[in-house]
Amino acid sequence: MNLKKYFVRALHRLQKGPGYTYKELLVWYCDNTNTHGPKRIIKEGPKKKLIWFFLTLLFASLVFWQWGILINTYLSYNVTSSLSIGFKTMKFPAVTVCNANPFKYSEVKHLLKDLDSLIEAALERILQPTPRNSSENPSPPLNLRLWHQIPLVLIDEHDKDNPIILDIFESNLTAGGKQTPVGNETAAGNQTTVGNETSCSHHGSDNCTYRNFTSAAQAVTEWYILQSTSILSKVPLQERIRMGYQAEDMILACLYGAEPCNYKNFTQIYHPDHGNCYIFNWGMDEEALNSSNPGAEFGLKLILDISQQDYIPYLSSAAGARLMLHQQKSFPFLKDQGIYAMAGTETSIGVLVDELERMGYPYSDCTNNGSDVPVRNLYSQYNTSYSIQACLRSCFQNHMTEICGCGHYMFPLPEGVNYCNNEDHAGWAYCYSSLRSSIRHRQICIDSCKETCNDTQYKMTISMADWPSEASEDWIFHILSYERDMSTNVTLDRNGIIKLNIYFQEYNYRTISESAATTIVWLLSSLGGQFGFWMGGSVLCLIEFGEIIIDSLWITVINVIGWCKGLKQKRAQMRYPDAPPTVSELVEAHTNLGFQHEDVGALPRDEALPPEPGTPPPNYDSLRVQPLDTLSPDSDRE
Amino acid sequence: GAMAPGKKITARIKRTLPVRGPQAPTLSELMRWYCLNTNTHGCRRIVVSRGRLRRFIWILLTLSAVGLILWQCAELLLNYYSASVSVTVQFQKLPFPAVTICNINPYKYSSMKDYLSELDKETKKALETFYGFSEGKSKVRRSVDEWNSTGSEFFKQIPLLKLEDFSRMAIDLHSGQKRKIEGSVFHKDSSIVNSGDSNDIIGFQLCDANNSSECALYTFSSGVNAIQEWYKLHYMNIMAQIPLETKEKSSYSADDLLLTCFFDGLSCDKRHFTRFHHPLHGNCYTFNSGENGTILSTSTGGSEYGLQVVLYIDEADYNPFLVTSTGAKIIVHDQNEYPFIEDIGTEIETAAATSIGMHFTRSRKLSKPYSDCTETGADIPVENLYNKSYSLQICLHSCFQKAMVDSCGCAQYAQPLPAGAEYCNYKKYPNWMYCYYRLHEKFVKEQLGCQQICKDACSFKEWALTTSIAQWPSTVSEDWMLRVLSWDKGQKLNKKLNKTDLANLMVFYKDLNERFISENPANTLVILLSNFGGQLGLWMSCSVVCVIEIVEVFFIDSLSIVMRRQWQKAKKWWNDRKRDRPGKPPQASDLERQGHENPVCIDEDLPTFNTALQLPLPQDSPLPRTPPPNYSTLRLETAFTEQLPDTLEVGQR
Repeated sequence: MNLKKYFVRALHRLQKGPGYTYKELLVWYCDNTNTHGPKRIIKEGPKKKLIWFFLTLLFASLVFWQWGILINTYLSYNVTSSLSIGFKTMKFPAVTVCNANPFKYSEVKHLLKDLDSLIEAALERILQPTPRNSSENPSPPLNLRLWHQIPLVLIDEHDKDNPIILDIFESNLTAGGKQTPVGNETAAGNQTTVGNETSCSHHGSDNCTYRNFTSAAQAVTEWYILQSTSILSKVPLQERIRMGYQAEDMILACLYGAEPCNYKNFTQIYHPDHGNCYIFNWGMDEEALNSSNPGAEFGLKLILDISQQDYIPYLSSAAGARLMLHQQKSFPFLKDQGIYAMAGTETSIGVLVDELERMGYPYSDCTNNGSDVPVRNLYSQYNTSYSIQACLRSCFQNHMTEICGCGHYMFPLPEGVNYCNNEDHAGWAYCYSSLRSSIRHRQICIDSCKETCNDTQYKMTISMADWPSEASEDWIFHILSYERDMSTNVTLDRNGIIKLNIYFQEYNYRTISESAATTIVWLLSSLGGQFGFWMGGSVLCLIEFGEIIIDSLWITVINVIGWCKGLKQKRAQMRYPDAPPTVSELVEAHTNLGFQHEDVGALPRDEALPPEPGTPPPNYDSLRVQPLDTLSPDSDRE
Repeated sequence: GAMAPGKKITARIKRTLPVRGPQAPTLSELMRWYCLNTNTHGCRRIVVSRGRLRRFIWILLTLSAVGLILWQCAELLLNYYSASVSVTVQFQKLPFPAVTICNINPYKYSSMKDYLSELDKETKKALETFYGFSEGKSKVRRSVDEWNSTGSEFFKQIPLLKLEDFSRMAIDLHSGQKRKIEGSVFHKDSSIVNSGDSNDIIGFQLCDANNSSECALYTFSSGVNAIQEWYKLHYMNIMAQIPLETKEKSSYSADDLLLTCFFDGLSCDKRHFTRFHHPLHGNCYTFNSGENGTILSTSTGGSEYGLQVVLYIDEADYNPFLVTSTGAKIIVHDQNEYPFIEDIGTEIETAAATSIGMHFTRSRKLSKPYSDCTETGADIPVENLYNKSYSLQICLHSCFQKAMVDSCGCAQYAQPLPAGAEYCNYKKYPNWMYCYYRLHEKFVKEQLGCQQICKDACSFKEWALTTSIAQWPSTVSEDWMLRVLSWDKGQKLNKKLNKTDLANLMVFYKDLNERFISENPANTLVILLSNFGGQLGLWMSCSVVCVIEIVEVFFIDSLSIVMRRQWQKAKKWWNDRKRDRPGKPPQASDLERQGHENPVCIDEDLPTFNTALQLPLPQDSPLPRTPPPNYSTLRLETAFTEQLPDTLEVGQR
């Protein structure tokens, strides 16, 4: 019976409320609402009424339309960027220094002995194509095992359709073959034969690919890299570190600001491209150094020796130091972001820290720490933070281990996988080169990796001068040689020595930071502004409107009930010819009294008028109560 | 018949929607009615307040609120066209830019010998006379007379002069005669004016061919600059007369320049390069020019995956006077952009590997009315002489060339030819050099108006380059490298390559992040309106409805009331005159008629004030009229009297 109680109470409320017909309710609403338009509808003559009715409708629809736009704008999550430039005390970047050459030739000579004699002989054959005088071949017998795995061939493409493939050592002609169109054939009429390299998936099988090179120099270099990678991947890491350049040999002098530093301040890291690399101020073990002054005097000054005489001749043809500035606790990807420093020069690098601080989801699709990226970060074994380069390389390595069954030597290994080498994984070079040139795999990696939200770049202004000067050359080499090797002989020369100055510029930061362009406060005030602008409305007006809807629902309920009752009664009293008026009829009759006039506005105006003497207007209040009185017993009876 | 339905409708509208005049009879009534019924907040307080001070304060407050609204809305309107900047970074596959590579030396010296031998001879002679320099045996000064006998057309046209001091006397190097300098003196290096050491000043004189008294003297602090400028002038003269095919032939071919090419891990060759003839740099080659419709893209950053080329710079075949540095020049640009290699090229050293890391930034500005930039250049009144998309540089060059053709009659050699013009040479246009220098002076001083006409482009792509250099080839690899590269170069080159003839260049993306800086409108109409709404609501709780009300009440209704008043006055005056003249006594009928035409009862289709014109003032009619209509003034009175006790009560408490 709770429902009934509630019903009764609701009816009671309606009794006190604005009206019990829709019309009355609407008129009451229009007259009493705080929204600006509706009041006007009922205030004046019929023409104005019409105008105001349409105006109000128009404004209401305008408001809703504009609200739609505003909400859409909010949901598009725009950002505004603010830029700040200046100087502040900042963490000095981590500086990674490597030698362009990964290993000392004197240390790896025994490993590469076979390969080197092979390539020398091959070069000899290439450069003098018609030797055939085997009598004067004093070189030791070549180890052709390496050769057979990945032979170098010449491809003569005078005849486009039937290129003649000539193995440099065997001189057997294998016409046809499976020519991949990559790199394209040389133009018709071009006299030069092309130096080429092939890699077969399995020796002896037909599944071979020829990689074309238009330049023999490129072909030889690529071939050598593939072969040496395979050889060196079998060497254990400790051995490889030992074969590389040691910190005390490479870093001759170090000065940070006014404080002296030495090779012990550098963290060693083994980089597959460049062997031993040394990182200053990496921030892994101790706090990162701050720099609070601009200018070369307060930066890092280094003197390095790259000992060019000990380079592996076929592996890297460019000589110099490779260096890179990066954030603390991030892995240096020297091939991407690194720069060269030339031997015999002083290289000054002014640094501007270019930061971009972005807001994460939903404003932009970036990641804060890489935890939401579906790629296993292999560089986490270095304890470094996530970066897009790390993600891409991990992605590649994961593909490689999946497809080829072994990991590439240039990237860190996932657990339980070995590096590729020619003995254990015969077809790895073929697998690798097809994977490397696969656009699809690259795209998969690009799609699955996300950039970091905080992107820091070190903008460098690089300038160079000859160093040491001719006048100072002698004593500088003398002192540095003495310090390093404890010998009075000069062990250094112009081809090995490099001076580096790394410092903050006068303005050392440029930060672009994002903030949300549309906040919830913005949305609310804009919504309010729109509603207020067109209709002078507020949230309360919406509540009012809701109230009226509830009221009209109640009126509907009452009407329906009344109508049902009437129907029942009618049926019951059908036999009586003179049926008494039903409740609904009564209600109609009473309510219509006030509304017989066409003018809707007449009602409230009449209501507002005080009863005038002589012409008593109908007492609406009493009328209003009456039908409800007749009604409520009805509902009570239920 | 045709009009009938229309009339019917109007009749119906007349019937159902009667027009009545303003509900207040007088202006003050109207105002009071407005104040009481308006939705704005201040106005009601004015009417309702008791006491003069209070009313005054409320009037003041309301007025200041109105003032504030107007001010703030004006501010909002003024700041409407402001832009906010957004920076987005997108990691994606990036299109590789076009890379244009030129040898610094434009033409092979050996193949240009036929054209330049005369000029070179003269230059050498000049060097000898000036500085006692001659190849092989220096400091052997030949007599001036000997030189005189040969006769030189180059020195006749543009004499090289050595200035004694500032006494306007100079030695003509050709004739050896001293002569007075007329006309203005231009200093190419302005600093020498202050140096005071005038002994070394050297320059050349350009005269107006039509009027030989009009001369300009260009001086340089150093002979190096003077000789080079002088040489360049003659050089351009000669080059302008050589047909393009010959020039292309005598410049470097792709095979000459490019030794090896490697892109994205794959070999490439000259077919990936497009030739492009630059007037000052000879044949240049553009990698990835997009000419065959495809633009290469990079999906991996890093030096291995970019463009790697080894260039052959044949230093021995350089023009000794035109270029004094060795190497190549490169420029990274968009496929649609014209490479202004002479202006913004990067120089590449020989015997070194130059690694250029790129970082891609795209920017977009909002065009008018936010900023003064142009989207396509179509709205700039300067014809684009270059076959590329618009840029500020193109506009300035085109503008200068146009001015050159207009005032000198011929086109400058370094820029493309406009339609119907030809390049300047002093066989046909003996005056052009003087004209060109004059014009260039004007251009630099922004007197030609080019800088005002040309606007910058709204969107542009920028590749920020980080250049670093390593030694190449390294000492241990030099031997085999040079041998193999010589073999690559092929049979026609018999000599072994020298490392100073080679330059290694690597151009690659440092990362595949594309930074996109764009301006967006800070305000939209929606936001402006909601700001208006906020202001109106804050100060007065007003809305557009209030504005319409104000228009309605203060303009339409008040006007109609005023008009009604005037009409009644006029009518009264007319009636009075009528009554005075023929003596028509009964005013009652008049009054009665007025009563019938009570404003609220009038059924008229005309606009309100028209009806009002016919109406008498209701108050003028005899007051005791029965029955009282639904008269709004009455209602207003009641509303006011109802209000009155309330406020009084409040006041008493």
